[in-house]
Amino acid sequence: MSGATETPSEADTSALPPRRPYLSRMSQSFTPVILLLIIIVFSLREGASFLNPRNFNDIIIDSSQLVVLTVGLTFVIITAGIDLSVGSVLILSSVVAAKVMIALSGTPQDIANFQFPTQQVGIPVGLLAGVVTGLICGVINGALITRLQMPSFIVTLGMLGIALGLGQLLSGGTSVPNVPPAVQSAIGLRELVGLEIGGQRVRITPPVVIAYGIALVAAVVLNRTRFGRYTYAIGSNAAASRRAGVNVNLHLVKIYALSGLLAGVAGAMDLMRFGTASVGSHQSDNLAAISASVIGGTSLFGGIGTIGGSVVGAFIPTVLRNGLVITRVQPFWQNVAIGMVLILAVYIDQRRRKAEERM
Amino acid sequence: MSTIQRLAYRVDRRSILRASVFAGAGFTLFAPIGFRAAARQDSFTIAFIQGVIGDNFYITMDCGARAMAESLGNITLDTQGPERFDQTLQTPILSAVVQTAPDAIMMAPNDSRGMIAPIQAAIDAGVPVLCVDTTIDSDIQLADVATDNLEGGRLAARGLAESIGGAGKVFVVNVTPGISTTDLREAGFRDAIENEFPDIEYLGQEYGNNDANVSAQLTAARLQSDPDLAGIFGTNLFSAQGAAAALREQGLQGQVKMVGFDAGPTQVQDLRSEVVDLLIAQHPGDIGEVAVQLLHDFLTTGTPPNPKELVTGATIVTRENIDDPEVARYLYVADCAAYELAGATAVPAASPEATPTA
Repeated sequence: MSGATETPSEADTSALPPRRPYLSRMSQSFTPVILLLIIIVFSLREGASFLNPRNFNDIIIDSSQLVVLTVGLTFVIITAGIDLSVGSVLILSSVVAAKVMIALSGTPQDIANFQFPTQQVGIPVGLLAGVVTGLICGVINGALITRLQMPSFIVTLGMLGIALGLGQLLSGGTSVPNVPPAVQSAIGLRELVGLEIGGQRVRITPPVVIAYGIALVAAVVLNRTRFGRYTYAIGSNAAASRRAGVNVNLHLVKIYALSGLLAGVAGAMDLMRFGTASVGSHQSDNLAAISASVIGGTSLFGGIGTIGGSVVGAFIPTVLRNGLVITRVQPFWQNVAIGMVLILAVYIDQRRRKAEERM
Repeated sequence: MSTIQRLAYRVDRRSILRASVFAGAGFTLFAPIGFRAAARQDSFTIAFIQGVIGDNFYITMDCGARAMAESLGNITLDTQGPERFDQTLQTPILSAVVQTAPDAIMMAPNDSRGMIAPIQAAIDAGVPVLCVDTTIDSDIQLADVATDNLEGGRLAARGLAESIGGAGKVFVVNVTPGISTTDLREAGFRDAIENEFPDIEYLGQEYGNNDANVSAQLTAARLQSDPDLAGIFGTNLFSAQGAAAALREQGLQGQVKMVGFDAGPTQVQDLRSEVVDLLIAQHPGDIGEVAVQLLHDFLTTGTPPNPKELVTGATIVTRENIDDPEVARYLYVADCAAYELAGATAVPAASPEATPTA
């Protein structure tokens, strides 16, 4: 994704040695080649059933929420932390968004009749409430991790349970009914750009713009700003960063707040895409986002990782699942195949990295 | 340092370039294969998207669908499904299935509201969708085929009433509020108890949250308040197992009669080992058979099914009748080797007015 935008600047900044290690990391990654190989294999096997614009359009739309979560996780993992709570925070955010939206879109009488006279107010405020909910959860995560000196694994595992439980409490354990349908029909499914390619309609919808817009901004922030440099520095050596004058605790709170905020955004996107807040879904999103980051070259030990790599990493399991379904592979074998490719992808990537370091 | 890294970068750029060239060649050489000419329609492909994979209920439904497809001769069935009952996992599978251009899809939607837009997208792409078991709050689907859960609840009430001699206190361990299938089972149970058995007192329901432990605690509490309890209906696997565990702990197993729902291998084992006394078996195989038959008729004649909502029955399973072939064929299977085509039919669903309300 962002690899394309980073590559040209590579040459320009070659006179500035200290910045090169960050910038060249994406280009060292082998993951885009693996993604390409997967696409080639399925294209050869399945032809136009797989290799057609509409299918890739579907894949891009279906992975939009995972991309948003993965961006947040990439920042967290680069600081050598982990955020297990993103899926639950997503659920809580979407439930809060749905509840606020319904409450502000009309009187209970109106809602019962499926009328939403004030939805112009209710929908934007509801979506905002969802995003703010995510931000609050993230700030709490960050505050607990830094103030109480607790491992991020434990704090965010606790938040996973808390956010999921609160979401279930608020929704009564089921999908929230009576969400104004306009949030889906007028926002989530709105066709911002529609193209006819080879007789097939390719749609750019708001979730796509939000997801890849966020990824682009995050790539710039991580590569070109002080915020990004601090993130890498803390992940490489927190003590040294502290001695160098970086306010490590404050920065970590910001990082977890960002991850929570993005989970909130993904929660709002859930309402846009599905028109309901469902507490039964998204429960393995945390692992999906962590593995996307790691496949994309982010080191679980911190200090290494790129947004572009993570976005590509998010696509590998998604494209693989899509191709296997189209190839009519039995679902149980799909899991085996995806698991094997994940291990293989990370192994090849690591070997390449080590080989390049030795050069 | 900088030269080495530039070298590394260049090496890598070359390999990406090389891969792109391969990809380009792949596109030009092989993409045309994909543009297959549209075949003459005398055979059809139906995609079946299960509610969740690895569940005996959906496996049995798949066996029914396959048996019917085989007997019709011109239907190929492709079965897929999500790992968990989760709309965000089912949606990409539906999108990918649509890309294989099946003639029709039969599926158990994971969310009655959330799956509307993805199903609409499939229909827009020209693939008709029929809902099995679960459904969506919409009328875009070609038809619905599901168990009559209300009738299933009534059967549970009648079976339990018979085993407790038509008198005493009964109580329901339900799952969570808001699940249409289990709510209907409770509604049917209550309806039958109140209207058909004047000597049975209905103590109401508790929600065990699909957790055997919680269900056991609730049942133990109810046994404290009503030690003369005569019977319990657990509306799904964990509700029944939890309630049965509480009975065993209090030494009341066999004295207080237990009805469970569904007839997968676990439930049947519970029945045989006297953990529960009765099971209400749905007919998932029939649902699969009827769905494929309906789609076949629609694809060959072009006439949409009418009426659109069809229900299949349920059967009371006891330790006495479980080996009767007429009952045994409704036990859920783990693989299709044990399945035989039943030639099932479904009846139109009762109109909504006939449904007793809470």
